[in-house]
Amino acid sequence: MQKILVFASKELYTAFRDRNLVLLMFATPLVLSTIIGLAFGGIGGNSDSELPEFADIPVAVVNLDVGVDTQEVITLPDQFANLDALPFDPGDLASAFNQAGIGPDQLSQNGTALNFGDQLAAILLSQPVEGSGTTTTEGFDLTELGCSLLDDSENAGPPAVASQGSLDDLLNGTAMDNADQARAAVDNGDFVAAVIIPPGFSKRVIPKFAFDDNLRLRAQSPGDGGTVEVYASNGRPVSARILHSIVSGIVNQFVRAGVALGATLETSANALASGIVEGEIDLGAVDLSALPTGLQNLNAAALEPLGCLITPGANNINVTQQPLAAIQEAPPFSRVIVPAGASQAVFFALFTGVFGIQSIYQERRHWTLQRLIVSPTPRVYILAGKLVGNLVTVFLQIIILLAALTLIASIVIGQPTLIWGANFAAILIVTLALSLCVSGLGVFVVGLAKTPEQVNLFGPMINISLAVLGGAFGFALPDQAARFSLIYWGVDAFMQLANAQTGIAVNLLVLFGQGILLFLVGAWLFKRRLDL
Amino acid sequence: MQLMVEARNLRKTYKRPDGSSIEAVKGVDLEIRQGEIFSLLGPNGAGKTTTISMISGLVEPTEGDASIGGYSITKEPMAAKRLMGFVPQEIALYPELSARQNLAFFGRMYGLGGKELGRRVDELLEFVDLSDRQNDRIDTFSGGMKRRINLAAGLLNNPPLVYMDEPTVGIDPQNRRRVLDTVKLLRDEHNMTVLYTTHLMEEAQELSDRVGIIDHGEIIAMGTQDELVQQVGEEDRLEITIGAQEIAESHLERMQQETAGVTRILCNPPEQVSDDSSESMPAKLTVFAKRGRTALPQILQDLDSAGVEIQSVAVREPDLEAVFLALTGRALRD
Repeated sequence: MQKILVFASKELYTAFRDRNLVLLMFATPLVLSTIIGLAFGGIGGNSDSELPEFADIPVAVVNLDVGVDTQEVITLPDQFANLDALPFDPGDLASAFNQAGIGPDQLSQNGTALNFGDQLAAILLSQPVEGSGTTTTEGFDLTELGCSLLDDSENAGPPAVASQGSLDDLLNGTAMDNADQARAAVDNGDFVAAVIIPPGFSKRVIPKFAFDDNLRLRAQSPGDGGTVEVYASNGRPVSARILHSIVSGIVNQFVRAGVALGATLETSANALASGIVEGEIDLGAVDLSALPTGLQNLNAAALEPLGCLITPGANNINVTQQPLAAIQEAPPFSRVIVPAGASQAVFFALFTGVFGIQSIYQERRHWTLQRLIVSPTPRVYILAGKLVGNLVTVFLQIIILLAALTLIASIVIGQPTLIWGANFAAILIVTLALSLCVSGLGVFVVGLAKTPEQVNLFGPMINISLAVLGGAFGFALPDQAARFSLIYWGVDAFMQLANAQTGIAVNLLVLFGQGILLFLVGAWLFKRRLDL
Repeated sequence: MQLMVEARNLRKTYKRPDGSSIEAVKGVDLEIRQGEIFSLLGPNGAGKTTTISMISGLVEPTEGDASIGGYSITKEPMAAKRLMGFVPQEIALYPELSARQNLAFFGRMYGLGGKELGRRVDELLEFVDLSDRQNDRIDTFSGGMKRRINLAAGLLNNPPLVYMDEPTVGIDPQNRRRVLDTVKLLRDEHNMTVLYTTHLMEEAQELSDRVGIIDHGEIIAMGTQDELVQQVGEEDRLEITIGAQEIAESHLERMQQETAGVTRILCNPPEQVSDDSSESMPAKLTVFAKRGRTALPQILQDLDSAGVEIQSVAVREPDLEAVFLALTGRALRD
């Protein structure tokens, strides 16, 4: 173990003593990031007066959601066909309905359709829902909910929310009917992005219910209704990323609301059923005459809390609320240098990863590798020392670059600014995950290549491809493509941390998973390079 | 005397890119005694480095095994490697590190640490006379100084056995002399066993207690210098350079029969140095004779009467070069 550390220390020392390497590792990404930051973000820290890029982002919103009928939500078991099998006397229930004047026709007519796509569209468009709102029975106006997001007036919501700015400052939404036309409009440069809500969006949000063998109501996973597509413009990647972040946050709230709703209904229904079965509730004595009126009023009465629950601006959606505030409050230079600096840091770290490991060929040419092999040092120690040394070098490179970019940003803005956020533990974990991935890729590439010439050819090609995919060159590819690049996952994680978000679990999972896999396969391949 | 190195049937076969194979070492058997300098002498490409690489554990033998101080290099490599130091032909040092940092790093790889490591590094820097340059980077050193640090790095663990693979390649005569003196010092004062490879007959002759002559991957002769010379007979060698001329085979045969003491005559015809030049290596006659100086006047007279222009004459007493020539029909430098 000590020999591994000695070897890793030597790797680290030689890497940081090489002036050319240090120039490539630090000076180049810092200069590039600063230039990009100054060119697009300007100098100074006044975020209120200068929002050239991040105010009134033009967005097309296409809502294809067909909603979901509540009668489809509950699946009745076969036992219901045979009324004698019910755990209570169905005669009592029929009698109660008869007393209230409710027949089968009235019940089926009052099926309620929920459409969460309408609500998401309304949030993004910053306008009240018209026509088919959250219910089909009547129009529904979000402003009536008293939730602050869509209403800038001081009295509309909690003061803390109003002071943080709102989505209608940030977005300039336009409703469209056709997804292809919206994508074409983005391609033409009319919009920064198009948000396309799929037909089955509500189905995906609302859980389904079914009775189990004991006739207990159970919530089930929502159906697969497709995902919300954010079709972004290559020309304004930062704005597109911001929009993507907003949409993700809101959609997550819908999903959470759906899960909460499912759990609540499940518990309530089962409690009611238990009461009936155990005779605690006498159906004959229940007055159901108010039911039709209640159903008519369901939209306003029952959905108000639900509407607030899923509206950014309510106190219970801190996760979504904070990034909006952070994005709006961050100085323009900071907003630009975070994605630009993070992507440049990872991009140049990729070269350190590949060429650091490639130095094994240099060791071989200089015969230092042979001297090590002749010493009483197992080859696996030499391999481990090389890999650990490279991993630590990449880690330090990224950390130093993040620190240096913080310093530069603070100087440009004119005051100390933690551009990566204040969650230092998370920053370190993301950096570690990225380093593992970057170093693992280096080991994999060098292990796969047969000669140093092949590494020199394929290493930069792979790095540049990842940079193009991950948006390190100033333009963003569609998410589906970008996700293939570790740069995307790293930059996205850093941006989330910079915006005080904490939803980086998937990023970490992808980076650690990819890193470990590349490291293991790469180490197995790389071991051959120690055979002389 | 106790054996330090014992190699049995060492064989190494490499595969070529076209799928065919080449046997670099063809079943070498070797015994090196404790405290002796054993030289492996042979021309470039003879298999010296491959043999030493297998014995030192750098390259895995295709067949056979070697033991160092009783430990098998294939079965107990760590125990065997603890007994050896390695001085490769190349400068196996990190150019961006100082002399001291290089020695300290490799010392740690031999398990040294703390004060022991510091003391050993000091001793070796003193030993190679480079204490005053210990903190300078290796890439600022001259070739000879690098060689000395390269040598010191092979002695860090104070090994009972040191491999030296052509350690004087590419250095000036002064540093070469220093290296050769150091090798003798290691044996005489530190009782180290040295396995030394070289293609220079003079070095093998000066240093070695015993010599193994290797050619085309095989040991063709092994023993003390006297034993080897006796193998080919104690004949003087007359080397006569005759320019770009050719001598009839019949004339050489007649000269061998008629000159007293002459046992054999080899004729190397002139060789063109390059395709596009008229420059050529002169032809050379090598005459083996029991009493070379006595036979020389008659040989010169015969050549003169045949109209051969003589450019130079050298009389060489029996040596390893003669042994190699006698065994292979080629000079070591060919």
